[in-house]
Amino acid sequence: MNLVASFARRLLAAGLILLVASVLLFAALRVLPVDPAGMSIPPAATPAEIEEARRQMGFDRALPAQYAIWLGHMLSGDFGRSVHLGRPVASLLAEAVPATVELALLAMAIAGILGLSGGLLLFVLRAEGGRGEAGEAIAETGTVLLMSVPAFLWALLFILVFGVVLEALPFTGRLDADLARPVVTGFLLLDTLLVADTAAFLSAMRHMVLPAFALGIAVAPPVMRVLGASLIDVYHSDYIRQARLRGLSETRVLLGHALRNAALPTLSVLGRHFAFLLGGSLLVEVIFSYPGMGSLMLDAVRNADLPVIQAVGLTYCAVVLAVNTVVGGLYLGLSPRPMPG
Amino acid sequence: MTQGSLLVARGLSVEARVEGERVPVLRGLNFALAPGRVLGLVGESGAGKSMVGRAIAQLMPPGFRVSHGTMEFAGADLVAMPAEHRRALLGRDIAFIPQNPQAALNPMRTIGAQLDEHHRRLGVRGRRVLRQYALAALAAVQLPDPAGMLARHPHQLSDGQCQLVLIAMAFAGRPKLVVADEPTTALDVTMQARIVGLMQALQQAHGTAVLFITHDLRLAAGICDEVAVMYAGDIVEIGPAAEVVRASRHPYTKCLQLSNPSFAGARRALYALPEHMPGLRALGRLNGCRFAPRCPVKAEYCLRSEPPLEGEAHRSACLRPGLVPAITVASSLAPAPWRPAGETPVLEMAGVSKRFATGSWLRRGQMEAVRDVSLRIAPGEFVAVVGESGSGKSTLGRLVVGLEQPSDGRIVLAGQDVTAGDEAARLHRIASVQMVFQDPQAALNPRQRVSDIITQALEARNARFRVREKRARELLAEMGMALELGVRTPAQLSGGQRQRVNIARALCNGPRLLVADEIVSGLDVSVQAQLLALLHRLRQDHDFALLFISHDLSVVRHLCDRVLVMHQGAIVEEGPTETVFGWPRHHCTKALLAAVPRG
Amino acid sequence: MSWVWRWLFPRWLRSGRVMIGLALVLPVLVLAALAPLVAPHDPQAQDLMLTLQPVRLGSPFPLGTDVLGRCVLSRLLHGASLALWVAVMASLGAMLLGTALAYAAGYLGGWVDWVIGRAVDVWMSFPPVVLSLILMVGLGTGSTSVILAITLVDWTRFCRVMRAEVMLVARCEHVAAARLLGLSHWRTLLREVVPATIPLLVTLLALEMGIAVVVEAILSFVGMGVRPDQVAWGQMIADGRDALYQAPANLLAPVAAIIVTVAGFNLLGDGLRRTLDVRLVEGAR
Repeated sequence: MNLVASFARRLLAAGLILLVASVLLFAALRVLPVDPAGMSIPPAATPAEIEEARRQMGFDRALPAQYAIWLGHMLSGDFGRSVHLGRPVASLLAEAVPATVELALLAMAIAGILGLSGGLLLFVLRAEGGRGEAGEAIAETGTVLLMSVPAFLWALLFILVFGVVLEALPFTGRLDADLARPVVTGFLLLDTLLVADTAAFLSAMRHMVLPAFALGIAVAPPVMRVLGASLIDVYHSDYIRQARLRGLSETRVLLGHALRNAALPTLSVLGRHFAFLLGGSLLVEVIFSYPGMGSLMLDAVRNADLPVIQAVGLTYCAVVLAVNTVVGGLYLGLSPRPMPG
Repeated sequence: MTQGSLLVARGLSVEARVEGERVPVLRGLNFALAPGRVLGLVGESGAGKSMVGRAIAQLMPPGFRVSHGTMEFAGADLVAMPAEHRRALLGRDIAFIPQNPQAALNPMRTIGAQLDEHHRRLGVRGRRVLRQYALAALAAVQLPDPAGMLARHPHQLSDGQCQLVLIAMAFAGRPKLVVADEPTTALDVTMQARIVGLMQALQQAHGTAVLFITHDLRLAAGICDEVAVMYAGDIVEIGPAAEVVRASRHPYTKCLQLSNPSFAGARRALYALPEHMPGLRALGRLNGCRFAPRCPVKAEYCLRSEPPLEGEAHRSACLRPGLVPAITVASSLAPAPWRPAGETPVLEMAGVSKRFATGSWLRRGQMEAVRDVSLRIAPGEFVAVVGESGSGKSTLGRLVVGLEQPSDGRIVLAGQDVTAGDEAARLHRIASVQMVFQDPQAALNPRQRVSDIITQALEARNARFRVREKRARELLAEMGMALELGVRTPAQLSGGQRQRVNIARALCNGPRLLVADEIVSGLDVSVQAQLLALLHRLRQDHDFALLFISHDLSVVRHLCDRVLVMHQGAIVEEGPTETVFGWPRHHCTKALLAAVPRG
Repeated sequence: MSWVWRWLFPRWLRSGRVMIGLALVLPVLVLAALAPLVAPHDPQAQDLMLTLQPVRLGSPFPLGTDVLGRCVLSRLLHGASLALWVAVMASLGAMLLGTALAYAAGYLGGWVDWVIGRAVDVWMSFPPVVLSLILMVGLGTGSTSVILAITLVDWTRFCRVMRAEVMLVARCEHVAAARLLGLSHWRTLLREVVPATIPLLVTLLALEMGIAVVVEAILSFVGMGVRPDQVAWGQMIADGRDALYQAPANLLAPVAAIIVTVAGFNLLGDGLRRTLDVRLVEGAR
């Protein structure tokens, strides 16, 4: 009961944050020195059409009214029409969102695996006592160096090494050009599995390897650090000492107590970094010509396509909040105490 | 003598590596514990008593190691033993009870899971059997609602309940030896008594030998068969408990007893040992008897040669044990300064209550921390507020000082009504009342110099630098602290010195009332004695009343004229200290008094 | 002589990481400051006869030229100048805004804390890159806009971390004691709370500079950063992608420059976190 109630409360809070975020987004694009009207209307419109569009969107009314109109449209599913591409934004989103989410989830998984193994490695190096001090310093410096390479540079380096020099993996698009794309849910990996098209599945996987790794490696170092630090903290704690005094073997201590207790802060860090991961995915998608929300957003920004900017921006926000809520719920499920902060 | 003993330490020496030097922490300890007997290891913080416990388990902190000697358990040397053998003993034949109960349990697993893990190690198999064992273990320590307890997590239990669980786990394997490292220090007075009683019962029922490590000599004397007193890494006296207490043969033991405010008998002055026990680094540089610098009966040769531990059943390491009975203190305290009758009370509270909101914004609740409290403090009076934790005494102190605003009632400070908590009230309070906080670590800004800290009141009034320096020197002299301490930061001071800085800061402006919230709790006995002597002296020289919040009834009896007993936010009994303690009427007062260890 | 040692190497400097970090950052800072003097050519000077020259260290174009014949080294140096200018200004801006709000929230508590906390929650639900892009749409291109955009996005980072620290310190009894002794709120804040938070602030500032360099590079890379007549590393990377086969230095030079600079700031920040904090921890022992 308590779990469900807390989860429901989190969901409600997330919804409210989304609402306020939409206000922020709206304000950012209206208040700053830019002409929103000009950005929402196709360049080839006639003066009469322009006037009509202006009135429809409420540009002749006060700011709060404009917001209300826009919000009303959004809630009823009308996300507007792309000025640049001419298509309804909703259909653009339906194609782009699953692509990005797929990539992000795969990257998160990679970050998690790399982070966990790296964190364990850091911990083992550090736990070697006095001898390991030099090893510890090197490992930590290595982590910091890893953290200094942003995702988009990893992407470029990967393209250079694996795509151009080694020619091992593809680096554009989602699928080989000659393969047909099954569309069921929009999640390509899932779709190809559902229609049992192994060639397409493998092709899709190969296309996602480089971008997912680029993102994953960029987000892994903080995870590594937190796991390493949590393990150290846990091992210094009173209850681990007491467990040893009760005669438990080191293996039991590690498996039964240390890992489980250290996993929780690691989970919360992974969740918190999802927003950064998503932000990194924007550029990574552009570099790999991957047709997701990032490419969509960048095109819209370059072409001053206001409806798309607003809708995609808000979608990014919604995805982040959704993941945060899920992670928070997971945390609650595993831990007897709520997540700090 | 050590035939058939369960635990024998022979020349046990532990050394630590501190900044490149090798410092001896324990020096050649010799003691023996027979099966089924209780040995108390008594010492102030830094004496090394906890290190003995660690040496038994061979779980030393980094940099510490056993350099000489042996620690034999049932004939086998624990130090030389292979780690696997030793691990097999831990939890089964040798059990440990820790100091911080809640921290010693895994916060993320239920009590039941942790009990099961322990029982499984002891060889119990099968889910149903495990559950039976778990329930039996909790019943053995008289925990209510054992079934419900199994499903809870440690943070849902009180410290005392956690300690009961740990005791259950310790005795579950029917151990031959239980090492209890300050098991009651972190607990409430009444809980302490309960834990100690339970441990005694279990010990007698199972015939377990117990090594009871504590800083409280009176407590140890009450429950142990033998007591060993430790000072700076040595055992200075060891023998049957009654003898060690009543016929001490080492000056330190006698001084320790005289430093403790007594609960029975006439009120007397406390023996204040000068300075404090040498720290780890200083230990390496001392020659001769380590206690000599502070010893009241020391001679020239004491500083040169180390006294060996000698004697029969009752041994002591002193070259002049015959002089020990002569160590005494003044039998009575200086009386409180005379005051004319009919003065305006310095504090008057009428019907004061404080309610706190609890719960989230969906389910608001109310908690009454202080309920309808009325009291009066005359100028120069030392009044104590006692009660268990959660009784509201800290909140009361905060209400007086203005850190909280009362929900109901009136507070009148030195004739002026300060209930409103407005700017005028605040200004009046700054001049009339000050608070001395409990934890000097958090109460002193670690980045400021001592002389700046104690004259902070002058800073608020933009006093000139020279004025402040002068006042700082005056205050330091009053507190009995060396003037050069003024340029140090709190981190470079000892616990007792920090507490003096705390008091000095509060007295800078000469307030009419001081509120002291547990200012001597957690301090070593000798340091506590120093501070209490200081407060008595300050009382003679200055004119201030004291509201002394404490849970330690012996200290209260020593220091305060009147006492108020609080329970669940209300004052349940009040009156002159001797009267309330001698003829208690309310059941809470009786419970508190019953929990005081009488050695 | 030990005082000379102590003056040359104050405690905060005594860390491998701090020294390596400084060794990386200081040269970049110096070169960036002196770019107009040190660069061999005008970064915008095109020479269509000498496009995509390879790296030849003794030649007039030590790192070669790009697709328009512009000197890569000169562009790199001017790019450094811009990157560090943006990094310093934006970090200071984010720090001032974020920390001011953090002090208000942590010290005053109550509804102020609640409002600021919720504002941070809302802001942080946007991926930073996305929010900066959106702001750039509104602000237009140019280095001032980039600085403003980074400030308006990254203040949350300072605010969230500093707020936790401020709350920790504000709860210490010496803060309450100062109030009881008569110090005003301002004085209490300045004397009791702020000094304790400076170490963390310095660390965050160093780390933020690294982040700002990356954000500026990203914005320039997608063409939403500085104006076309300014030189930025991100821009060089975008151009360098096309010239990858013929003159890889076009891409690798700015990539290396970014990595070195960011690594330097990260090491500095990380090392400072240990040395500045350890000083307090050690004193407290």
